[in-house]
Formats: sequence, structure tokens, C-alpha cells
Amino acid sequence: MRFWDHQHDARSETRRLLLAFAVATVLLVLAVHASLVLAWWLMAALLPVHLPFPAGFLVANVGVSLLLVLGGWWVETSNLRAGGVKLARRVGARELRPGLAHAEQRLANVVDELCIAAHMPRPEIMVLPRVDAINAFAAGWDEQDAVLAVTQGALDHLTREELQGMVAHELSHLHEGDTRLKMRLAGMVFGLELVYNFGEELRERRGLAWWFGSAIMLAGLAGWLTGQILKAAVSRQREYLADARAVQWTRSRDGLGGVLRKVMAQRQALGQTAQAGPRRGGLAHPSVQHMLLVDAPAGLVLGGHWAARLAGRLDSHPGLGERVQRVYGRSMPPLPLAPVREPPERAHRAPGPESDPNAPSLASLVDPFARL
Amino acid sequence: MTTTGWVLLALGAALVWWAVATYNRLVELRNRIANAFGQIDVQLKRRHDLVPNLVEVARAYLQHEAATLEAVIAARNQAQGAAAAARAAPTSAGALGTLASAEGLLGASLGRLMVVSEAYPELKADATMQQLSEELASTENRIGFARQAFNDQALDFNTAAQQFPALVVARLAGFAEAPMLQSTRSEEERAAPRVQFPGAAAKS
Repeated sequence: MRFWDHQHDARSETRRLLLAFAVATVLLVLAVHASLVLAWWLMAALLPVHLPFPAGFLVANVGVSLLLVLGGWWVETSNLRAGGVKLARRVGARELRPGLAHAEQRLANVVDELCIAAHMPRPEIMVLPRVDAINAFAAGWDEQDAVLAVTQGALDHLTREELQGMVAHELSHLHEGDTRLKMRLAGMVFGLELVYNFGEELRERRGLAWWFGSAIMLAGLAGWLTGQILKAAVSRQREYLADARAVQWTRSRDGLGGVLRKVMAQRQALGQTAQAGPRRGGLAHPSVQHMLLVDAPAGLVLGGHWAARLAGRLDSHPGLGERVQRVYGRSMPPLPLAPVREPPERAHRAPGPESDPNAPSLASLVDPFARL
Repeated sequence: MTTTGWVLLALGAALVWWAVATYNRLVELRNRIANAFGQIDVQLKRRHDLVPNLVEVARAYLQHEAATLEAVIAARNQAQGAAAAARAAPTSAGALGTLASAEGLLGASLGRLMVVSEAYPELKADATMQQLSEELASTENRIGFARQAFNDQALDFNTAAQQFPALVVARLAGFAEAPMLQSTRSEEERAAPRVQFPGAAAKS
């Protein structure tokens, strides 16, 4: 993977999309005005009496729509910045307990290692204990508030190297300020949605208000849809950037690549046995959806439509196949879930195979610089 | 003053402002390299602190491998001594050479210990030993990542200092190109950057 090139591409694409977002907001404000003027003309043409064009129509329209958009943005953003840890708790995460489980100690070490590679302060680490699906998310407005949460499924199924790839991907979201950018965009889209809501509310009154309400609603709908599409496009670029960062920091494509391929395998198994899929826990929560490593499936009912939904422009994450292709430079098959070396605490309760042939040997683990 | 004069003055002020900003940016990037170099040292110290614990646990199971254990302890003590000497005289090439070979020796003897421990399943199953070998694996990764971060920072600095308009400021202020750690097998290249940033090791 030529990760420097991929990073450069993702950054410049993000800049273009953010510019488009600003243009779209200005266009929405103008569209609100244009549709209101149109509604006024229609009304004036239908009414028998002559009406003068209202004075200050443009200023009032632009002012009100800007108030709605920016006000909504401000309200939603201040809601979202309440705190990464608080958000993680809301979806069922708990603090890491390194003393209790070997796997959690390993996670703490992996995060520390990668914070050295990424040259950043260590975020708060949390675990989602009731989620079997391999996933993770990063959240937080700034460095003090940064949190990185990993599912139990990831701790159970991933090797040390894969855990590194996954943690590196999430650290990139924190390092590049993606969590903040995504919260800002979500707030902006909420502001655009407010314009639609305002129109809808106006429409409920009978008479003249219906005309104007419909006009505002239509403009708001177009703006909201554009906002959603652009937000999702930005989000996909940030995922590519984080993938490239993960490969840069771990200098290994098998780490992150292995995670993505194992998720593919897990998803395939989920498709075959629609009833007994991995539990998603609180990961379907809308506030964390766009911050996940891989997006949580919308629900088991939609299992069949999955591939179709992936192609949708509203998806916040690129397709798994496409991401694996970018990481490896070619498409790769899913990786079957193999049991990871049993942590010592579990060995007492359920003795597994004495030595797992797939487990990396101790010598290869301590060979200095073997991984570079 | 004429309009032309004002325009020239504004242009000059903008130029100076830009040059100062560029200079400060380059200084910041250069200090980050020094900090990244300090990180490598911190992680080497972590390795020195971990080894005695590892050997203590292994000793209970490896009575017949006393020679291997003694070699690890000796290599660790030697490396620690060499590190102390190098910290006292960070610019001395001789002390750095000694440290480099001592670290190499420690790495090799740890590798040998791990190969030997493969033959002792009870040792591998020991919970403390598993924790220690996890810590050791983590430490080796940290050393590797610290070196990698150093190179990434050096790349950032070199790119910033060699791109066109900033190049002028970098040349005028006399910023030298930051060297990268070349080999990933030996510690000898530590000497070059340490000469470049004599204060780094002392600070950490």
C-alpha cells in the first residue's frame, strides 16, 4: 500500500468536499429565498388583488434560514461535545481492567505502543463487554476527552498484530481530529434538517402558510439530502485516511487487513445464520455509528440488502472489499476466525488445546525489530 | 507617503511575518525530532528494567539453563552500564558504540532465552511468565515504534524544510537535513542522531 499517496488523496478530497459543503449551505439559504419568492408569485397571480412585493424579503429570508442553520448547528454541536467518555458509557462501554484479564493488558500495551508510533497522548481506553462483533470506535472533542472503545469480540478474535492495526486506525481518527470534524458535520446537517422541520411546521397551518411552508420544506429537504450525502462522502474519505495511517504506523498491511478480512468472515457467517448473529449491543446508537471501525449492520432484517446498502451514497463507511483492496493492492478472501492464544485466566476454567499452532512463538514475539 | 510606498511596506511586513512563521514551524518540527529521539532512550530503559523480573520467573523452571540466564543478566547489566556511560557523555562516539553493541547483545541473549523456554511448557503456561513475555513483546514493539516515529518526524521536517518557499528560510537560518535511522538490525546508527541532538538524552 502506498500509504503516503493514499493519505494525500484522502486529505485533498476532504478539502474539496468541505468546500462543497459550504457552497451547499449557501445554496440552501438562497434556495429557501428563491422558493419563497416563487410561492409569493404564485399566490400573487392567483389572488385577484394586486400585492406589492414585500420589502426586505431577501434579508428576512436569508436571516431566518441562517438563524435556523447556524442555531441548529450550535445546539447539536454543544450536545455532541458533552464528552467522549460519557458517550461511550451511554452505549455500554466500561473502563479497561488490565489487572484482571490478559487480553485487556495486551490492549493497554498495544495502545501505548501505537501512541508512541503516532506521537500522541494516550486516550482513555474502554471495552464494550457485551458485543461479539469485531469493532471499535473513537470519540471525543479534544485530547483530554478522547476515548477509544474496543468490543469484546475484537479482544477474543484478533491477534496482537491485528489489534495493532485496529487501534492504529482508531488513533488516526483522534490524531487527525476526525471525531471533531464528524461532530461538526453532524451538527451542520442537523441545522439543515431544522430548515425542513420549520417548513413542515409552517405547513400544518392552513391557508397561505401552507404555500410558504411547502416551499421552505422542499428547499430544506434538498439541502438536508445534499448535506447527508456530503457528510457521508467526507466520512468515507476519513476512513481511507485512517486505513492508510494505520498501515503507516504499524508498517504492516496484515494487521488492519486481517481485521477487515475477519470482519468479512464474521459478516458472511452472519448472513448464513441470520438468527444467531453477533450481538451488536449499543453500537447501533446513532451517535457512534459514524465513528466505528466498520459500520454496524442496520439490523438482521436487512441482512440480505447489505451489499446493496453498502453501495449507497449515504453510507458513512466504504465497503469492506474496497478497503481491503486498498490496503493490499488487490482483493483478498475473508479470513476465517481462528481462536487466539488462550489467556491464562481462561485456561483454568476451560482448558483449550495445549499449544495452538497458529499462535506466534515467543521467540518471534521478542525478536527485536522483527516487525520493522 | 505615496500609495506605492504603503503597498511596498505592507508587502515587506507580510514577507517578514511569513518568514517568522516558517522559521517557527521548522523549529517546532526539529524539536519534535529531538523528542522522538528521547523516546527511543526511554523505551530502552524500560527494557533494562523488565529483564531482571523475567529472569527471576524463568529461573524457577529453568534450573538446567543457568548459563543462558546468566548470559541475559550479564548482557543486561552491561547494557545498563553502557547506557549510563552514554548518558553521561552523549557526544562521545566511543560510549555510543559500546552501548550499541551492548544493546545488540542483550537482544540476542533474550532471543536465545525465548528459544530455550519453548522447550518448557510449564514455563510457557506460567501466568506471570505470560504477562512478562507480553510486556517484553510490548517493549520491543515500543522500541521499534519509537525508532519509526523518529524517522517519520525526520521525514516531516525534511519535507517541510525542502519545499520551495520554506527552503529559502531553511537555508538562510542554516537548518541541516535531519538524518534518519537507517538500519533496523543494529544500534550503531544511534550515534549519528545523538550527535545531532546532544540535549535529547539528557532531558529524557
